[in-house]
Amino acid sequence: MERNQNASRRPWIRKTAMWTVAASFGLTALLAGCGGGNTGSDENAAGGGGGANNGVIELKLWHAMGGVPGQALQHIVDDFNKSQSKIHVTAVYQGQYDDEFNKWKATQGQGGKDGPNIMQVYDIGTKFMIDSQDIVPMQDFIDQSHFDISQLEPNILGYYSVGGKLYSMPFNSSQPVLYYNKDMFKDAGIAEPPKTYDDVLADAKKLTKKGPDGKVAVYGIGLATYGWFFEQMLATQGADYVDHDNGRTGTATQAVFNGPEGLKIVNWWKSLYDAGVDLNLGPVTSQTQNAFLAGKCAMIIDSSGVYGNLVKGAKGKFEVGIGPLPRPAGATGGTIIGGGSLWITKDQPKAQQDAAWEFVKFAASPQEQAYWTETTGYFPITKAVYDDPGFKDWLKQYPDFQVAVDQLHSSKLTYATQGGLMGVFPQARQTVQDMLQAVLLGKQQPQPALDDAAKKVTDAIKNYNLTVA
Amino acid sequence: MKENRVWLVIRYILLIIASLVVCFPILYSLLISLETSEHVSTYPPQLWPHPFHFASYAEALQAAPLGRFLLNSFIMSAIIVCGQIVTSLLAAYAFVYLRFRGRGVLFLVFLATMMIPTEVTMIPNYMTIRSLGWLDSFAGLTVPFLANAFGIFLLRQYLLQLPYELFEAAKMDGAGHWRFLISVVVPLSRPILATLAVYVFLQSWNMYLWPLLTTNSTSMRTVQVGLGMLQNQDALSWNLTMAGVVIISLPTLILLFFAQKHLVKGLTAGAVKG
Repeated sequence: MERNQNASRRPWIRKTAMWTVAASFGLTALLAGCGGGNTGSDENAAGGGGGANNGVIELKLWHAMGGVPGQALQHIVDDFNKSQSKIHVTAVYQGQYDDEFNKWKATQGQGGKDGPNIMQVYDIGTKFMIDSQDIVPMQDFIDQSHFDISQLEPNILGYYSVGGKLYSMPFNSSQPVLYYNKDMFKDAGIAEPPKTYDDVLADAKKLTKKGPDGKVAVYGIGLATYGWFFEQMLATQGADYVDHDNGRTGTATQAVFNGPEGLKIVNWWKSLYDAGVDLNLGPVTSQTQNAFLAGKCAMIIDSSGVYGNLVKGAKGKFEVGIGPLPRPAGATGGTIIGGGSLWITKDQPKAQQDAAWEFVKFAASPQEQAYWTETTGYFPITKAVYDDPGFKDWLKQYPDFQVAVDQLHSSKLTYATQGGLMGVFPQARQTVQDMLQAVLLGKQQPQPALDDAAKKVTDAIKNYNLTVA
Repeated sequence: MKENRVWLVIRYILLIIASLVVCFPILYSLLISLETSEHVSTYPPQLWPHPFHFASYAEALQAAPLGRFLLNSFIMSAIIVCGQIVTSLLAAYAFVYLRFRGRGVLFLVFLATMMIPTEVTMIPNYMTIRSLGWLDSFAGLTVPFLANAFGIFLLRQYLLQLPYELFEAAKMDGAGHWRFLISVVVPLSRPILATLAVYVFLQSWNMYLWPLLTTNSTSMRTVQVGLGMLQNQDALSWNLTMAGVVIISLPTLILLFFAQKHLVKGLTAGAVKG
């Protein structure tokens, strides 16, 4: 978002100030660079940790949920505040994940005065949070209060557990799935969504339509070159992203995604693009979502969390179907859970930590999780939700969501499906995205491109490890 | 006469086309904000919403307390504008009408600060604000921006264009520096002061990073942060976002209409009397 761009500037400024305009455009161009969500900021952040007033414990929850999920989170916080009178939680939006994460990085080691009591962090920030040592592992609270976690989804807990210890409580969880336009599939005579890479290519060829001018009017598939998809496709083949069992049995020192599994993904991706059936709109998934809703492509891969939005956007135009994430024939791996989790920070009195734990438990309760899933499309983190009558009705209304649920439940928990663990995941994801674009646009061959990307990530890991060792 | 009229019509048609091109982004966001979420992403894009759908505005106002954010942004921008006008005018006056040692060097030092990107000064500024206990307050939001080399530079160049004879004449009549500044310089600089005010206002209105960093309670947040609250990272809903954009850009549009008149008046009345 170019939040700093003075879009409303008008040509009314006369001679005397003409150069003002010229100069200010220069300045705004410079400033525009800092508006983007991804660049974030490395400087400090504020945030006033909580305190106790009149016996009520005040807690600050930092989060990165805008739009519908933001409102749903506020609803959960309100429910919590109403449910008891000893703790009061205030949810504060701190920009998108990267902004929020960078703000947190900056408040570290300052006594927690301006930091949050509870913090929502994205999946790939997990290793960094653990290394920061500014958090209290969730496991400590679970052991201390003998909290029963048997109802929580083991596949979701797996991601946030390291060395058998749960570090944070999963909150908003999602998985990648294949969305398809049921009407287009029917017209092309395809009975069900493709499951393997070969199926996708064959179906996409059938679904691609040319307009009267010879240009492609409808693409078979619109694949965002989003690094998360690459990570998931590795896991479906049971391959790790980094060494030391994906960083799960020791600190990762090297990226290993350039093996035969990685090559299979990139080759397949390129074959789709070369066949002219893949719509390449870059790494931002909201672009492919729009193309899908506009009927410019028949399939997309995206997070299960956007299901509700897609159904809403397609209303009156076509029916949205869900298929499992495609994989090479014979691959037996599973998918990794994505999304975010809640962390309890260390720099605060014990009483506040315990109060924070009360909130975390509340947010993980079946009742709140049912509401959360129905409103946002994120996965419920507790299996108890599936017994909730209201949720059963919701599933009846959106039957395709079951495909995503089945995909989660059928994923065997291995090091590959637990997800890679390293301190520089945001950078690694960016590197992979650049690699995918370079291959698609023919700037590099798949294997050398993969090797280069792996080397870049390995270098970043080494640098990171030096800073924490 | 007739040819003149034809020429006039052609000129107006060209002007209308040009203004449509310039206004298109604004019009387009307005039209999108009036679409339903199903209609936003159709292909080919539908320019004209059918039917008009105002619910996005209600939704946007519900999703974030935009009224409060508008007020905060307005107060913040107004304080910054006043501060910069006063500091820039005084400094520029000193650079033009006061003779002192090292004047040229000092001016260059001021200019050099324009080379430092805002991002670089943000950390030290944040540390200062934090140690003063100004986080989450208007003081924290505005104080670092009360003086700016750009404003000083802009006003100095303008004051240099005023005939120095005016200063001498005022001196002959017994006017001191303050008297000359208030009675002569300020009235003559109205157009450039208005230009600076509008520029600084827009700049402050559009700040994102600084307000995000220094404020923590929802009640102290500004509009640009509020706009972020309307966006869902995984699934952007354009009609909602654009409704927010239209709401928060209204005050700046009103300001431009208002300032435009003032500017034109100032430009025509501010000429040196012969």
